[in-house]
Order: sequence, then structure tokens, then C-alpha cells
Amino acid sequence: MKTFVEKIGVAAIDMTGSLKATLLFAIKVVFRMFDRNAYNSAVKMVLVEQIYFTSVQILPLFLTIAVIFGSILVIILMLVVKELGMVQYIGRFMIGFMVYELSPFITVILIALRSSSAINTEIAVMKVNKEIRTLEAFHIDAMNYLFLPRIINGIISVVFLNSLFSIVVLATGLIFSNFIFQMSFDTYTDVLINSIYFSDIIIMYLKCITYGVFITLIPIMFGLNATNELTSIPVSVLNGMVRVFIAIVIIEVLSLILKLI
Amino acid sequence: MISLDIPLISNLDVLNNIALIKLYRDNLPKRQAEQLVLKLLNRYKLEDIAYKRSADLTDEHRFCVMLLRAAMINEATIVIDRPFIILHNSQDSSFMKYALNTIDDLYNQCHILDYIWNKDRYIKDNAS
Repeated sequence: MKTFVEKIGVAAIDMTGSLKATLLFAIKVVFRMFDRNAYNSAVKMVLVEQIYFTSVQILPLFLTIAVIFGSILVIILMLVVKELGMVQYIGRFMIGFMVYELSPFITVILIALRSSSAINTEIAVMKVNKEIRTLEAFHIDAMNYLFLPRIINGIISVVFLNSLFSIVVLATGLIFSNFIFQMSFDTYTDVLINSIYFSDIIIMYLKCITYGVFITLIPIMFGLNATNELTSIPVSVLNGMVRVFIAIVIIEVLSLILKLI
Repeated sequence: MISLDIPLISNLDVLNNIALIKLYRDNLPKRQAEQLVLKLLNRYKLEDIAYKRSADLTDEHRFCVMLLRAAMINEATIVIDRPFIILHNSQDSSFMKYALNTIDDLYNQCHILDYIWNKDRYIKDNAS
């Protein structure tokens, strides 16, 4: 019994330590983000490259997924709404569920699957190859050169791709609302506009920004935890990605609580 | 510093590995830094490796790139740590000498740290 309690205690201490380290690192990054001296030609170059890799290269796949997945969900949602006789709430369902909740969630999952794993591996490989030491030897601040552009890119990508996903979902909604409810373009836009609340938009974008920070920051931290052995790379990526998904769930829950308040 | 413990960055090509120092430390615009690096690679007649990555380079090419990278620091003092580990096919220091002489205007001093048992490889070269 004592061992079991001890195990819980050790796990709780580990978790608190890890959470504290992540939050401290996040605070450090946020402060650095507003330091003008952090941005030089090298950092700007990395930022542009990162935005290209994360937000532009993914576009064909992302748009395809947005159209297919968005259409299926919109059809299911509209058929359920029709069956329940809640057509008057269609705007609230489209905006409140599809745009505010589902769109950021699907976007962040797609970016995490593609970019977070890549960032985690990249940093772990750099650590194993002693390339982080190269940066130190030439007085290049890894925080400015490696971490900052990736985290800023995370924020930009989640916000941009989430907006794109929302537009695609609303556009497919327009088509299917016409088929299912014989709703005209004007009626559909009126219904949507009446369902938009400014505070919800703020919460949605705050959620996107928080997602953007943590789905890049956590892989960086776990990449840096890699040792000098090649075998530490998969372990670091595995641990990093598990924490990324835990962070996504925690942010989602916190945003829902914030909405309820 | 030139050492296998301070490797080239594997996800950057030769051009960006060398230009990085100027881009970061001197905030030189990207195009200007790239032109400078291409000009310096031309001294070794190595412009064709500008877009290659570390894994695709020969030992000699890698040594030249590491040397150029170290020389990118203003008023550089270059320290070469056990050069025959990087140039492990070289019998003597002749290539090292050629590489250093080609860019001698870019650095103030150069120090070579090596094992005592490699002394002959330098002496032999000096005698010839």
C-alpha cells in the first residue's frame, strides 16, 4: 500500500516538475518574442522557411482533408438538426460547434502530427549530432535561432490554417444547407452572422495561439532532452508527442471552462 | 574553432552553414551573405559544393567549409582541433597549409592543437 502511495507521489512530483519546466520555458519564449534584438537576418530566414514548411507545403493535403472531413461532418450535423427539428439553431451549431470547437481541434491535430513530430526529431538529431554545441561555439543563441522562429511559426500556422478550415466548412455548409434545407445564400449568411459572438471569436483565437505555442514548445523541450545516443531520438519523439496530445486536451478543456465562465 | 566536436549543421547546405555566422552576428542581408560565401568558395574553386550538405562532402571539402565558417567571425583567431581526425586521409599538413594560406587575409591568428605523435606529419611538410 505504501509503495502504491509512493508511486502516486513520485508521479505527481514528476508531473508538477515537468509542467513547471514547460511553463517557465513558455514564459521565457514569450518574453523573447517581444525583444526586437532577437530578430536578425538568420532568424527571419528560419521563420520564413518554417512558415513555408508548415503552412504552405501542407495546403493541398489540408484543403483536401478540410473539404472531405468538413463536408461529412456538415452533412451529419445538418441531417441530425433536421431530424430533431432544430433548424432555427443551425447557425449556432455551425458556428459554435464546427467553427469554434471542431475547426481548431482538427487543425491542431493535423499540424501536430506533421510538424510537432518533425520539430521534435530535428532538435533531437541536432542534440545527438552535437549541432546545438556548434551554435553555442559560434555564440548563436539557440533560443533565438532555433526555438523562437518555430514557436512563432506554430502560432501563425494554427491561426491561419484554422481560419482556412473554418472558411471551407462554412462554404460546404452553404452548399449543403441549400440541398437539405433549401436555404438561400442570404438566409444562410444571416443565420451565421446572428450566431457569431465576439467573445467566442476571441476565445477561439486565444485557444489557437496557445495551441500554436505548446505544439512547438513541447517537442523542442523533449528534443533537447535527447542524450548523445541515437536510440534516445525515438524515445524523445515518443515522449514529446504524448505530451503534445495531453497539452491539446488540457487546452481544449481550459477553453471550454473559460467559455462557461 | 574547427573540430569534429563542432560539426556543420546537417539540415543546412554549405552556403548557409558558412553564411549563418554573418547573418546572425552581423545581421547581413541574406543575398549579400550568400554572395560573400560564393566568392570565398571560389577561392578554393568549390562553388559547385555550395548547395550540398555535410554528408555529401569529402573530408577536404568539409575541412574547407569548416575553415571558412570559422573565418566568418570578424578578426578571427582560428583554432584547429586535431585536424588529421577531420582530414584522416592526409599524410601531411600540405592540404591544411594550402587551405589556410588561401584565406589568410580573413583571420588574425591560427593555432593547431594536435597529438604529439603527429608532430612528424608537420615537420615532414615543413622540411619539404
